[in-house]
Amino acid sequence: MRQKGSLGWLKHDLTHRGPTAWLLTLGLFAFYFILYYGGRTLAGVPIPDLFTPIAQALHLPSKWTFYGLLYTLAIAIGGAYVIYKYRHNRYQVIRTSVVIFVQATLAFSVPWILTIFEQPEYYFSYLWPLKMEYFYPSTILSMPLPFILFSLLGSLIMVPLLGIFFGKRWYCSWVCGCGGLANTAGEPFRHLSNKSSKAWAFEKWSIHITLFLALLTTALVIASWGVGENYPVFAEQAASLRSLYGFVVATLLSGIIGVALYPVGGTRVWCRYFCPMAAILGLVQKFGRYRIRVKDNMCISCGMCSTYCEMGIDVRAYAQRNQDFVRASCVGCGICAEVCPRGVLRLENRWRRDPQELSMDALLNETYRG
Amino acid sequence: MHVVIVGNGVAGTEAALAIRRRLSPQDARITLISEEHPYFFSRTALMYAYMEKMQRRDLEPYEREMYRRQKIERIQNRVVDLDADAHTITLRSGATLSYDRLLLAVGARPRMVPFEGLEKVKDGLVHFVSMQDLDHCERLTWSTEEAVVLGGGLIGVELAESFVHHGLKVSFVVREPYFWPAALAAEEGEIIGEEIRRHGIELIVDQELKTIESDEAGRVSGVGLSDGHHLPAQMLGVAIGVVPNVDWLREVKSSPELGRGIRVDRSFRTSLPDVFAAGDCAEIGADGEVPLLETIWYSAKLQGQRAAGAILGDEVSYTPPIFYNSSKFFGIEYTTVGECVGVPSGTRSLYRRHESRPITQRILFDEAQVRGFSMLGSRWDHTLLQQWVAERRPLSYVREHLHRAQFDVEFGRVDLSKFQEEERTL
Repeated sequence: MRQKGSLGWLKHDLTHRGPTAWLLTLGLFAFYFILYYGGRTLAGVPIPDLFTPIAQALHLPSKWTFYGLLYTLAIAIGGAYVIYKYRHNRYQVIRTSVVIFVQATLAFSVPWILTIFEQPEYYFSYLWPLKMEYFYPSTILSMPLPFILFSLLGSLIMVPLLGIFFGKRWYCSWVCGCGGLANTAGEPFRHLSNKSSKAWAFEKWSIHITLFLALLTTALVIASWGVGENYPVFAEQAASLRSLYGFVVATLLSGIIGVALYPVGGTRVWCRYFCPMAAILGLVQKFGRYRIRVKDNMCISCGMCSTYCEMGIDVRAYAQRNQDFVRASCVGCGICAEVCPRGVLRLENRWRRDPQELSMDALLNETYRG
Repeated sequence: MHVVIVGNGVAGTEAALAIRRRLSPQDARITLISEEHPYFFSRTALMYAYMEKMQRRDLEPYEREMYRRQKIERIQNRVVDLDADAHTITLRSGATLSYDRLLLAVGARPRMVPFEGLEKVKDGLVHFVSMQDLDHCERLTWSTEEAVVLGGGLIGVELAESFVHHGLKVSFVVREPYFWPAALAAEEGEIIGEEIRRHGIELIVDQELKTIESDEAGRVSGVGLSDGHHLPAQMLGVAIGVVPNVDWLREVKSSPELGRGIRVDRSFRTSLPDVFAAGDCAEIGADGEVPLLETIWYSAKLQGQRAAGAILGDEVSYTPPIFYNSSKFFGIEYTTVGECVGVPSGTRSLYRRHESRPITQRILFDEAQVRGFSMLGSRWDHTLLQQWVAERRPLSYVREHLHRAQFDVEFGRVDLSKFQEEERTL
């Protein structure tokens, strides 16, 4: 039941797919449309470029820097709200502070400062396959050596290694800008994710298909660089796949769909259904040390965990079955543990549970086992 | 075999699922009957629906699809008659259903006492255990400025918290000298009391409700307390416990043996053939034993699963595990394991209190072993605490290993050496 007053109405409407929420989504769609297509002519209709003048007035190099500034502000302001909301929970306070810090530095100031020093714009917080161009030979040839080393070693060694020890959460909910926005500005919408088993079935296919496309595109682009001179048709095909992937995945899915759908589809649409980086990390996570531990027979099936899982995992299904679990999509945001009124859930980085000298099952369940 | 289950709460639903896990739809037809709600929902989350932290659909622990997949039939109706000789039940709609096995999992209803003025009240008096109670509360909240909650238990706190969330001025009337002496010692009760007051609730202890006042329309307008004080209120939440929902069974054709609840033995059999009972409505124990009435979610779940075993012909002898429970009072979490109140005199108590935060631990023990834990303000793994009680660990062992049972989030674990300690004999 919503709270009293018109403010109560607005709050409910905005966070429960009311007309205001749809308006906000439409507004975000328009924002991204003008951001991407402003200044161009589509089907004979010129699209006004609203953001370049604003960027110029603010003495920013381009509208993309202006977008980066807005993005950083959204994370900082949303992050302050999240820190306040979960101030009693140190995991959330530290995690959110790191998210704000990483966005403000690695994802915003550092690339900008690099351009001031006439270096290539490089985002240390994004790695392959999220940032596919860092693996393209043309990019590698144009980059200074430290950046190349970070691209290669970061993607191929650091990412899986950290994934083994901490799960995908070190990236998806501590570093990544997409996750950062979801966990800060997106906080009021996190309960909107679809929890049905149908959504899960879709997710398993969609995310691995994008991963496959990412691998294929990278392989073809590298191959066409090597042999392209002899097979011009092949090089052409690789280039068109590359631009198609760039348009569909990077622009459409991660930007427009990923963010604009927050108010009606929940915050992690991109991360959950499409992000190739999340797909790789999720696979690593399943075999690593990370898992969510469930206290035996303490769950009261209230469903707060499932409701507030932004990845649409039905956490309650595991908790009420007393089952510790690792799900490929879990980004380890820790909100399920935070909202659980009985403290049933805990994120852990251990191979297995504490050694128990005598098992509880033997002691307690034996007596009433039929 | 046709298994009919009356009540689709946690005991009934868990029983249905446990039967289905063992018998296919060809071998067992399962029918769940409930008047309250067509689908199993989580009663424990009613307050979150009231506070808009959850939508009603989120209260359902299983997807609706599950009933179709598992071939569990549902009927939303009320059972009005039971004929054990004919193995049939009759619904209010007039339909008659025959069963091979019948499970009564009809739960509990709010306890009520004949307060003065109660007969004139037509509206404004609420309980908080059923879906209909939630409807009732939601309808009344819009026209309420002040509310009184009666009863110092968990449902009382939940109701008070929800009222505060909706901006009502709340008075919380507790009969005992501090909050929830049935589970907490005085120090812990005071800490919770402090937390309740900190949220703007007027906590009134040592007081009983004497009269309920109502306006011409029959809507509650205020209450009178035993010390003569008058509190204005347009909503009165009564949460003074629950009683097994068995009155309707006194009027049916074949009535099972009733005590406070439906009398069952340790295999959940009632006095009627092929009729079983489990959950909040069941009073467990053979003749001569102290009957056991458990009204906790986890107990009902376990009882439903065990009763399913008995229905399928297993040898079942239910003994409750070492007692445990947990709850949350506003921001303060609470875990209890073993014996903590009503312990034999001579039991020793070690009370540990954090210097600055509302975090405490109380360990009850005697010369030989630890007996109970009452932990406030941080999270604990009750399975480990239970294990130590079962293993008869001495206090020295428990103190040394206490950190292993901490269950708080990363970076959030308190340093267990920074506690003030006080030991005394009860």
